[in-house]
Parts: sequence; C-alpha cells; structure tokens
Amino acid sequence: MGLMEHKFSDNIITSTVDGVINWARRSSLWPVTFGLACCAIEMMAAGASKYDLDRLGIIFRATPRQSDLMIVAGTVTRKMAPVVRKVYDQMPEPKWVIAMGSCATSGGIFDTYSTVQGVDEIVPVDFYIPGCPPRPEALLDALVALQEKIKSDKVLRK
Amino acid sequence: MNFSDLVKKIEEKFPSKTSSYEKFGSRFIVVDRSCYKELLRSMKYDFGFEYLVDIVATHWPKRKEKFDIVYNLFSVANKIRVFVKVAIEGDKIDSVVDIWKGANYLEREQYDLVGVKFEGHPDLRRILLPEFFEGHPLRKDYPLKGRKWFNNADEQGLGLKFSR
Amino acid sequence: MSAMVKDNLSEIVTVNMGPQHPSTHGVLRLVVDLDGETIVGVRPDVGFLHRGVEKLAEHRTYHQFIPLTDRLDYLSPLSNNLAYCLAVEKFFDVKIPERAEYLRVIFAELARAASHLVWIATHALDIGAMTVFLYAFRERELILDMFEIATGQRMTSSWIRVGGIREDVPPLFFEKLKEFVSIFDDRINTYENLLTKNRIWLSRTVGIGKLSREDALDYGVSGPIMRGSGIDFDLRRDEPYGIYNRFKFEVAVSDGCDIYSRYLVRVKEMRESNKILQQALDQIPEGPVMTDDPRIEIPSHEDVYEKMEALIRRFYIITKGFAAPKGEAYGCVEAPKGELGFYIVSDGDTKPYRLKIRAPSYVNLGALEAMAKGHMLADLVGIIGSVDIVLGEIDR
Repeated sequence: MGLMEHKFSDNIITSTVDGVINWARRSSLWPVTFGLACCAIEMMAAGASKYDLDRLGIIFRATPRQSDLMIVAGTVTRKMAPVVRKVYDQMPEPKWVIAMGSCATSGGIFDTYSTVQGVDEIVPVDFYIPGCPPRPEALLDALVALQEKIKSDKVLRK
Repeated sequence: MNFSDLVKKIEEKFPSKTSSYEKFGSRFIVVDRSCYKELLRSMKYDFGFEYLVDIVATHWPKRKEKFDIVYNLFSVANKIRVFVKVAIEGDKIDSVVDIWKGANYLEREQYDLVGVKFEGHPDLRRILLPEFFEGHPLRKDYPLKGRKWFNNADEQGLGLKFSR
Repeated sequence: MSAMVKDNLSEIVTVNMGPQHPSTHGVLRLVVDLDGETIVGVRPDVGFLHRGVEKLAEHRTYHQFIPLTDRLDYLSPLSNNLAYCLAVEKFFDVKIPERAEYLRVIFAELARAASHLVWIATHALDIGAMTVFLYAFRERELILDMFEIATGQRMTSSWIRVGGIREDVPPLFFEKLKEFVSIFDDRINTYENLLTKNRIWLSRTVGIGKLSREDALDYGVSGPIMRGSGIDFDLRRDEPYGIYNRFKFEVAVSDGCDIYSRYLVRVKEMRESNKILQQALDQIPEGPVMTDDPRIEIPSHEDVYEKMEALIRRFYIITKGFAAPKGEAYGCVEAPKGELGFYIVSDGDTKPYRLKIRAPSYVNLGALEAMAKGHMLADLVGIIGSVDIVLGEIDR
C-alpha cells in the first residue's frame, strides 16, 4: 500500500460526492409498476424467474412515492394521459422515465382518435425502447444504459 | 331443435313480421321494427336462448334505415347460434337490459362508439371514452385521423397540451 | 334511537381503486362503495386503454388487420389470430390444409396454457403467494421460447393467416414441444401442491365471489367463469371449429360458483390442453400449411423468387388485398378468457365495413358487481384475479 499506509483510520473510502451518490442511486433503481398494455407482460417477465431484475437491485414498487423510475409500458391514451402525468408528478426527485415499446415511444400502430402519439407529449423521457413488445433483454439493456447515464450525473452543481 | 324448426315456430308466433336466411355459416332472423322486443323476449323464455353473446350496431349513412342492430344469441341447451337483426330509421331503440342483464355493458358500448340510444337503459353513459368526447367514432362520418378533442378539457388542471 | 346510531355508523364511503393499482391487472379503475369493510357497490370504469382498434379495422385490408388482433388479448395472441382468421375464412368457405389445422390447434392450446400461467401467477401474487409467480413464469418462458422458434416473436407473432399459417415450423419446435408436453403435467402438480389444499388459499377463495348459475347465464359470462358456475359449455366441443372434434378432452366444470371453483376449472384446463397437445403431436401429418385457393392465397417466398405469376399475385394481394363478398360472418373460438368472437360486415370491398370484437373479458367484467357485493374490500382483489381480465381486449 506504500504511501497510503497508516494515513487513515479503519473503514474509510475516498471518493467524490458525485461518485458515492450516483453509485447509491444507480444501484437501487426502484421502478413504479406502471403496466399499461402488452409491454407490461414483458416487463413482468423481466422481473420474473428467467431474467430476474432483482439481481440488479431493481425492485418494483406499487407506489410512485417510493420510486425513482417510471417504465411506461404500453399504449398511452388520452383518457390515461392525466393519470400518467399525475403518477409522474408524485414521484420524488431525482426521477427518470423509460418509454417501453413503440406505443409509448410514438403511438406505434395505433394512429387513432384516442391514442397519444408518444408519452413524451406528457412527461420527459430518458430512454426509448423500440419493439412491439420489446424483449426483456431490451428492457435490461435500457436499464443498464440508464445506470450508465446516472453514473455521469452531477449532483451538487448542474 | 334445428334452425328450420325454429323459423317455423317463430313464423307461427309472429306471422309475416320476420324473415330468415343463412349465409356464410351464420343464421339470421330479420325482424320488423314493430315487434323485435317481443321476439327477443320469446327467444329467451320460449326458445331457450338464455345466453346473449353480443350486440352489434352498424351505421349505414346512405340508407333510409340508418342503423342495423344485430343480437347474437346462443342456446346452451340446443347448441344453436342465431343472429336477430333489426333495422331502425332513427337512432333510438328499446333496451333489452330487462331481458338479459348482460346487455347493460354491451348496449353502453354501442351507445358510446356508434351512438345508438337504447331507451329504458338504466345507466346510459359513455363507457370507453371520457364524458367530454364529442361524436361517436364508429360512425362512418367520423374522421379516422385528427385528434381535435384532445385539448378540449384538461379535467385535472395538469396543463396537458398535445401537439401530435 | 338505536336505529339512528346504527345509521350513523353505517355511512357509505366511496373509495377509488386504480387505474394505477398493482392488483387491477392493467388500467382498470373501480369506484367501490363501502359500508365499513363490506362492499355494497362496484362501478368499473374502463376505457383507459381504448385504442380504436375497431375503427382502424375499417381502414385496413383483411390481412393487415391480423397484427392488430395480437394486441387485443396480449396474453394469448394466437387465439385472437385464429378467431379472426376463422371469421374471414367464413366468407370464402375455404379448405385449410391438414397440417395447418393441426398447427393451429397446437398454437391455440399453447396460447391457452401461456395465458393461464400468467393468470395463476398474478392471481396467486395478488392473494399473497409469491412462489407460484416465479414457477409459473418459468414454464411460460418455455412456451414463449417455442413461439420464438416457430414465429420469430415471443408474444405478438401474427402467425396464423387467412387460409392457413404463415410458414411451416422448424423441426426444433417439435423437439421442444415434446419436451414441454412431457414435463408440463408434473409442473402443474407443483402449483397444485402449493395451492389446492393450502389453508390460506382455501380461506381466501372458497365461498368468495359467488356467481350463481342463473346469474352467469343472465350476464352472458363465458369461459372458465361460466364453467366455474356449473354450466357445461365449451365452444371447442359444442360448436367445434377447425378440427377440435377429432380430439378427446374433457370440459372442466365445477359447480362451486366461487373463486376456488374457477381456479379448479383453469388448472384442469391446462391439463386438458396438455392432452390435446399430446394428441396433436401424435397425429400431425406432413404437407402444405397454406391453402391453394387462388382468392386468398399468398404465394410463398420460394415461389415468388422463381415464378413471375407468383410475384405478381403476391404484389397484388399484399398491396390491394382480397375482396370479401357482401354479407356478415361471425367467427369465434374458446379463448382462454371465454368466447372471443369477430363479427365482420362486408360491403364487397377489400376492407371490412364494420368489425365488432366480442371480447370475453369485457362481458365478464359486467358481472363483477354481482360477484363482489357483500364481500370484504380485501376480497375484491381476489375476485378481479378470478375474472382474469385483460384490459387490451376490454378497451380495444
């Protein structure tokens, strides 16, 4: 250990504030269970035995108050739009949004009188996942990419 | 009981008010506007069609009778499926909720999407679309695209505006 | 005086449940009237996923609509494909090749098993049994893997086409299917060991969510709820479509009229599906999988690369579609949720004039209030789970 030896008492790690806080944030992403349509089933499959999101520290919470990630999985309709916005508004900062599937991204094949053409009309979106529905691997990829994004966040100065 | 027996019995009960045809594997009874409710009632209580499968309303804007209403009935005992069809001129028809309770949701859906008013329905409100929606989307004159009603009512005051 | 006190105590409280609620299986909103803990009224509010599929159908050719049917009951997309294709085939009175008929049955029964596995997983999770969720999704992944081998997609595969199926399946599919059929019965035993005689499960399900035989018929419910109320009715046996009359299977019926009997019906149905799969595996012949009826046939890729007329025909039928004769046709299947029907009105064009989807979950939801009245609020979650709703087909 050379130079560092006996300079510190036990159990001290040096790091930046950003590094510690971002490490904590990205290692326990708790998404709110917000299944809307078909993609929700693949989201459930991602959380179930084969793909097992728990090993990434990702545990689905039923309430937005305890969550920091919203995975919009499915078609957002005009009737549902206020609810999506309300759930998003209730989440504490910092918060992230993943638009899962074509419908949440752009309306997909449902270009009709009742469908919102992409959830980014209502809430800001960090990641878009293509696919109808995307495979669980695609969701995992987005979650890992989100963790990378959180890693480079600045906490104290914007 | 097969279809021809049924048609004979219906003909006895409602003389010259009904006609029947079989096409593409579906059996239809076309009934006059004046007695369709009595026919439906006797379909359930006399002929054993206890199971109301579906109600379909179709809009024909160029015809004199603007709407076709089709009742999809199944007899669990006799294992026979019959469609009862009635054409109406206006957009009003009597409800059949007093015959089948299941008609409640089916009629509300047709009211919401096609705009047929079922008179005597206990709770005729929109079901799939919000209350402030204008028009009935499954009518033929409703445009496929165009989301004009999107910003009409911001019911929860969230400041939602839609651009696409 | 005592009556007045009682009145004060029994004030009706209205509670809102959903649309963002983990136990409503999607975006269902329930407005529940409560007298203390007891439910006195439930008003479902649906439509949060209304995507206008029926309107889209009026502007799609008959082939183009198939992918949209996948997204109705997204737990069993292939059942929806089958129901729609049966309805369109009624217009043409077309003969489907034998191999395609068998593959359709195999796909439909696998879809039923996959759907019931999601049901048992989420239903048990709602009531508090987490383990079943993990086991059931393990088996569901096996089925989805098979779908992926055959169709290239896990869920929304659009594989059943008008006049047959899209393409023959690779040999690996049958290997996997044999393996699955041999283990599936044993895996169902695992779920039954966890639940069927579990005291907690019994006390949460027996006698809860009663729907009498008369009410079941009156509300027009179908599928496992109807059979759980003691009505011996299954479209596969009573109005056979495809080649279902060649298979030996029992119709699962239970006359307890409660959540538990619906549970028993669905578990038995999974076992019967497994039997049908076994028989189909034994009997399936070789041969083509797409009809050669020139009105609706889409030429295969091999033909298109070699024959000029096949190329022209394919181009024509993909871009313009085929016209159905004037009239109405109705095709229905016994989907996992109940009777799924497509009623198509044609005016002689290449697009449907009007298409109405008879969604089983939608009609079953109409009986929710009859089932929930008089029970505790905590039982409502179990009752919703036993109805096995899918919002995609309720709202369309």
